[in-house]
Amino acid sequence: MSDTSTTPRPRPESAAARQRRFGVPLLPRRTPSARRTALAACCVLLLAWPFYLSAFWLQTGLFAMTAVIAAIGLNLLSGTAGQLSLGHAFFVAVGAYGYTWLAGDDGRSGTHELTGLGLNPMVAFLAAIVLAGAAGTVFSPLSGRLRGMYLGVATLALVFIGQHVMLNASSVTGGFNGRSVPPMEIFGMAFDDSTVWMVLGVPLGGLERLWYFGLFLVGVACLLARNLLLGRPGHALGALRDSEVAAAVMGVPATRMRAAAFTVSAMYAGTAGALLALVYQRIVPDTFGLALSIDLLAMIVIGGLGSVAGAVVGAVFVSVLPQLLTHYADQLPLVVPPGAGGDGLGAAEAARYLYGLVLVLTLLFAPGGLARLEVPAPPWWRTRRSFRNT
Amino acid sequence: MNRMHTRVAVALAASVLVAVTGCSSKSAGPKAENVDAAGFKSGPGVTDKSISLGVLTDLSGPAAALGKSAVQAQQLYLDQVNAQGGVCGRQIKLEVRDHAYDVQKAVAAYAEIQPNVAAFAQILGSAQTSALVDSIERDKVMTLIGGNPAAMLGHRHLQLINPTYDIEMINGVDFLVTKAGLKPGDKIGVVFQDGDYGSNAAEGVRFAAKKAGLEPVEQTIKATDTDMTAQVSALRAAGVKAITFSGTPAQTASLVGVAAATGLTVPVLGSSPSFVPQLMATPAKAALTKMFYLSSGVPALGGDEPAVRKLVADYQQKYPNEQLNQAVEVGAVNGAVMVETLKLACAAKDFTREGITDALRSLTKFTSGLGEVQDFSDPARVPSRKTYVLQPAEGVPGSLKTVQPATEAPGVADYLAAKH
Amino acid sequence: MTTFTQTLFNGLALGSVYALIALGFTLAYKASGAINFAHGSLLLLGGYLVAIWHEPLGFYLALAAAAAGTGAAAMLEALLLRKVRRTGSTVPTILTIGVDILLLTELARRIGGDVLTAGDPWGSRIREFAGITVAEARIYSLLVSVLLVAVFLAAFHRTRWGLAMRATAIDREAAELMGVRSDRLWMSAWALAGVLAAVAAVFLIAFPAPGLDRNTGHIALAAFPAAVLGGLGSVGGALLGSLVIGMAEAAAAGYQQQLSSFGSGIADIAPFVVMVLVLIARPQGLLGSKESNRV
Repeated sequence: MSDTSTTPRPRPESAAARQRRFGVPLLPRRTPSARRTALAACCVLLLAWPFYLSAFWLQTGLFAMTAVIAAIGLNLLSGTAGQLSLGHAFFVAVGAYGYTWLAGDDGRSGTHELTGLGLNPMVAFLAAIVLAGAAGTVFSPLSGRLRGMYLGVATLALVFIGQHVMLNASSVTGGFNGRSVPPMEIFGMAFDDSTVWMVLGVPLGGLERLWYFGLFLVGVACLLARNLLLGRPGHALGALRDSEVAAAVMGVPATRMRAAAFTVSAMYAGTAGALLALVYQRIVPDTFGLALSIDLLAMIVIGGLGSVAGAVVGAVFVSVLPQLLTHYADQLPLVVPPGAGGDGLGAAEAARYLYGLVLVLTLLFAPGGLARLEVPAPPWWRTRRSFRNT
Repeated sequence: MNRMHTRVAVALAASVLVAVTGCSSKSAGPKAENVDAAGFKSGPGVTDKSISLGVLTDLSGPAAALGKSAVQAQQLYLDQVNAQGGVCGRQIKLEVRDHAYDVQKAVAAYAEIQPNVAAFAQILGSAQTSALVDSIERDKVMTLIGGNPAAMLGHRHLQLINPTYDIEMINGVDFLVTKAGLKPGDKIGVVFQDGDYGSNAAEGVRFAAKKAGLEPVEQTIKATDTDMTAQVSALRAAGVKAITFSGTPAQTASLVGVAAATGLTVPVLGSSPSFVPQLMATPAKAALTKMFYLSSGVPALGGDEPAVRKLVADYQQKYPNEQLNQAVEVGAVNGAVMVETLKLACAAKDFTREGITDALRSLTKFTSGLGEVQDFSDPARVPSRKTYVLQPAEGVPGSLKTVQPATEAPGVADYLAAKH
Repeated sequence: MTTFTQTLFNGLALGSVYALIALGFTLAYKASGAINFAHGSLLLLGGYLVAIWHEPLGFYLALAAAAAGTGAAAMLEALLLRKVRRTGSTVPTILTIGVDILLLTELARRIGGDVLTAGDPWGSRIREFAGITVAEARIYSLLVSVLLVAVFLAAFHRTRWGLAMRATAIDREAAELMGVRSDRLWMSAWALAGVLAAVAAVFLIAFPAPGLDRNTGHIALAAFPAAVLGGLGSVGGALLGSLVIGMAEAAAAGYQQQLSSFGSGIADIAPFVVMVLVLIARPQGLLGSKESNRV
């Protein structure tokens, strides 16, 4: 960011102001040590997950991880830079198909001839991220010049044009019927079910190993975003969102910064896409429709705009809640299990209603996002804290 | 101080983890295939008392009307089988999940029920099936699917029933040639939806048209179009003598309605998914009964075949408020294929996943009275090549009557020979 | 030549229906600064109400009742949005997604697999002129849209209501100081958007379309680019944009043989391609005013 060198170094913020600005985790907003303990407990829990959960819950968790990565990226754009994007499903698709094409081999899928570069999966994964970033850069004539809602609707075009390309460029994408995704491979160790490790008497297959890969990616994504937000680019983007004129006077190149934010955000989406492809194991164009874009936007708003924690909370909320609701809906009164016949309320419909309702209520009562909700700490915590403070 | 706090937490959690891993249900390893005293092999989803089958369908999305009918008909068929003692003394249960035509939901639902079912009795939706193809092959779980695109052939554990969309059209064009008295050099309109369904059907029309010396005039439409005026104008300007159509039912109503209103009264032949009885409540009803024909792998519900009449009576008795459509037959046939397969697996004393697929592949002359004889021995070949021609009619179940019995056009063999 | 005339008319007819949708969309945006993702569901609601009421009430009464019902639903949505007004424009936009999920789930459940008809008086009659064939309902849709838009423009530019609308759009606070009750205005704009959606729905489900099914609301998506390429928040822009999008879509369908090198299904994305091209040349849209910044 040499171009911002004329910007005077931002005044150091107070800790409180910083918290307001960058968000904090959902639970106890107490002291660093409490936060760290909670965070550590969370990490251990997440690391232990694959030892207990079935493939269904692992998959749900991995879907949530892809959502978290994409949402963090979108939040950099929408929350921090104030730019709305409805086109992120396209960049997710570029990441997914990019990885598949780069790592895949020439072959056939049904009636289609497929091409592929057959790169090492790790290299392909990184290249797919770069590819998504490049796609974001290509869009910069618009992303740099359009603002807010305009950009939001303009990026709709990406989703639909992207669908068109995915259906027609069948040698790369496999067309309507999609294409198999080659498994991830790190240092010769493949992430599929061909080999099973036994750890502590529990078999760890492809999905379990992918879980750890996903966790690693989420960690990196969080850290990078945090550093970006706390550093100069974050301040420049925030200034741009609050007042373009003021930012320009301070030497922030508005057009270039906005385009850059869009590119970085697209790279996050591309990472999510490549991971998503690995989870799906086979990708079809229908996956990357407008609904995905809208879900991503809903995630960052529900979680709270402008903070990494908000994106994480929102992404988990939006991607896991419908799964939970569908899974347990038939235990609600008035809901009939799927296929039971009759005119009762179907489980999937009940889940949709509940999801819509929760979405509306959350925004009405916590318009600042879930991550900004003050959750009172439990009494035992408070006593211990006060004891320690004395 | 802080760091110590963290360390304590991590150490504590880690030791708890190690201690509890022993209790993990996963540590038992993947459920092995069991062999009981009588030498009976069984895999996932099979117990001494029951066999669980999975169904992934659309009960609340755009194809909900068809999905619901198919599942209910399948359940009806299995209920009847269970009432007579089931298969091998085991009751057959359906695990139904609604994916609402959403790929991610379908993939999630698959992961949820796959470990607990012996086979999938029905998966609806082309995109959803495509996304799951690799998983199905890897898990070796025998699966019957709802749609009939040729792209879904050639997978060992995946099976479609009845002719594919291209065969439907080759037979259908043959019907049109006689019906409309088409001569070499005549033009035939080909209106089809983008995607694997429409383009598969169009492939069949192109072949049949070439064979009959007809000149195809193609028009593609998108799934969301509802107004076919532009397409009809173009076909009228080209002077077509007949039209083939592969789109949604709503589009059929528009196409036929506009064609009739503008004086283009030529026969229109639709692919099997292009009609639902609900269309008879639209203004296009008169035109539909006059000009429209449907190429279908199952006979009309309004027909006289004993199996069809029994199905209609049973279904109406169990679901008196439901409108009958062709998906009822598809569901019942799926159920019958499943039961026959399980019976063969029972005879071979092998209810493992592979055993069930082997049983399906040994079904070479399957018939249920609903449609033609099916041969499932080769996954790469269509199970049957004969199609019926149906016509909308008022006052009969399903609003369709059969106007031509199951027939195989002479071109089909050449077409398949050229493909393989 | 016939193809050209036919395409021209199809484009006009399609554009006129888009205009009704895009106008409602623009009004809602002007009033609350949010993109109304529930607009398609409002449209579906309007069509559904006409479809179930035309038998007992007759077509015109049913249309009036449906317009009132859809207007009321839009006002309810506006009430919800008002609660989060202070949070900027993104939160209300997402709120409309929640509303859309609720409304769409309920309507889809009621409609099921049915294809409902509006019972409109035009039936499947057609007219022929200048060598082209046109459904009568399409001619009426063109006439009614032009009429409604003309009435709206007159009200917007000649009445006190229109003056208040324009004043509020420029500066809400100043307008309130001048005695404009912006809350009421806000509601009236949304109600009008609902009414226009109901009228558009009738023309969308009349012949040559087969009737109303659960996907009818999807058409509202094509009105998004219409509103944006005209200039978000500009009424004239929404109209011009609708015309451009309608024409582009009709041309892509009418000349698909010539366009086949771009891959099949090009009509699907024509509105969006046109929008992107326009926005590259004019980021503020065709008639949108360039934002000026005061320091």
